[in-house]
Amino acid sequence: MVAAAALEPDAELMLRVKDGDAASFALLLERHRIPVIHFVYRMVLNQAVAEELAQEVFLRVYRARLSYEPTAKFTTWLFRIAMHLALNCLRDGRVERSQESLDLETQDTAARQVPDRRPTVEQNLVGQVKLAEVRRAIEALPAKQRAAVLMHKYQEMEYSQIARVLNCSESAVKSLLFRAYETLRARLAHLA
Amino acid sequence: MECPVQSRDNADLLLAYCARKLDPETAAVLERHMEHCAPCRAFGEAQKAVWTALDTWEAMPVTEDFDRRLHVRIAQEENRGYWSRLVRPWLPLNFRPALSLAAASVVVLVAFLVQSPQSAPQPAEVEIVDAEQVERVLDDLEMLRQVNLVPKVEAPAVQAM
Repeated sequence: MVAAAALEPDAELMLRVKDGDAASFALLLERHRIPVIHFVYRMVLNQAVAEELAQEVFLRVYRARLSYEPTAKFTTWLFRIAMHLALNCLRDGRVERSQESLDLETQDTAARQVPDRRPTVEQNLVGQVKLAEVRRAIEALPAKQRAAVLMHKYQEMEYSQIARVLNCSESAVKSLLFRAYETLRARLAHLA
Repeated sequence: MECPVQSRDNADLLLAYCARKLDPETAAVLERHMEHCAPCRAFGEAQKAVWTALDTWEAMPVTEDFDRRLHVRIAQEENRGYWSRLVRPWLPLNFRPALSLAAASVVVLVAFLVQSPQSAPQPAEVEIVDAEQVERVLDDLEMLRQVNLVPKVEAPAVQAM
């Protein structure tokens, strides 16, 4: 019980899932569903593929419940699975086949933002152009740099955790991020 | 303070500062340095622009039936056989349909091999050999017949002399 008290809440939940508690799995899903889907979506740039991969992530977590040991932070393990699936997907070129929907998704996002912010048509168009540039800049990054930037920027992970997810040293992560942001500065600094 | 732009060791300080992850004391020291260091100021401004640009990229909303679909898959997983559950995690996602196709092909191939007689191609080859042999024998016979005819024709001529 002393060891369990020192565990992070997610690891405790996962240990309950290991003991057959379905409600704990539902809680984990509730907590991490959106970050995982958003991370995978920004990796593969396709909503349908991102959701399919995110489902596979949680399915793998569920499958591995019986052998789960809280040796690392739960989110490190979770994002490691997510990153591997996303990298495999990019390597296999599965996203390229459904890339046509990319432009439509951009338009859909813009359309959804209209009632909230009430931008003018011109602002809307400028927003779309900026968004497309950001996506292209991220897409142009090598996959590992992209993963590092997404975890650093959107998941707000520390260098040490990104290093564990990417299975490399902290200095390698700093180097990856430095090069990635250098590329992004060259491509996006004019958007300020 | 050593200039972060020029020093490899301090390079991540500017990134951390722009990500607002720097502790207040270090941030204050860096801000004082940036007041008189143009390269660091330019770096900081460009990095902040990137940070703001990335903020505009909102991810897509998650579809409503995501959890339901996941629970259906988990239920299917639970109902699946032991062997399938054991093998499935080792197979990459895109390989699974190909595996089914390959398994179907193997079944069809085995069925074809089992049903077709193994000695089927041999008679055709034997027939060809037989025909050639017959033809050759006939030629030989014809040649022998011609050879045999010569003495028969010549013999009476010699006798006549």
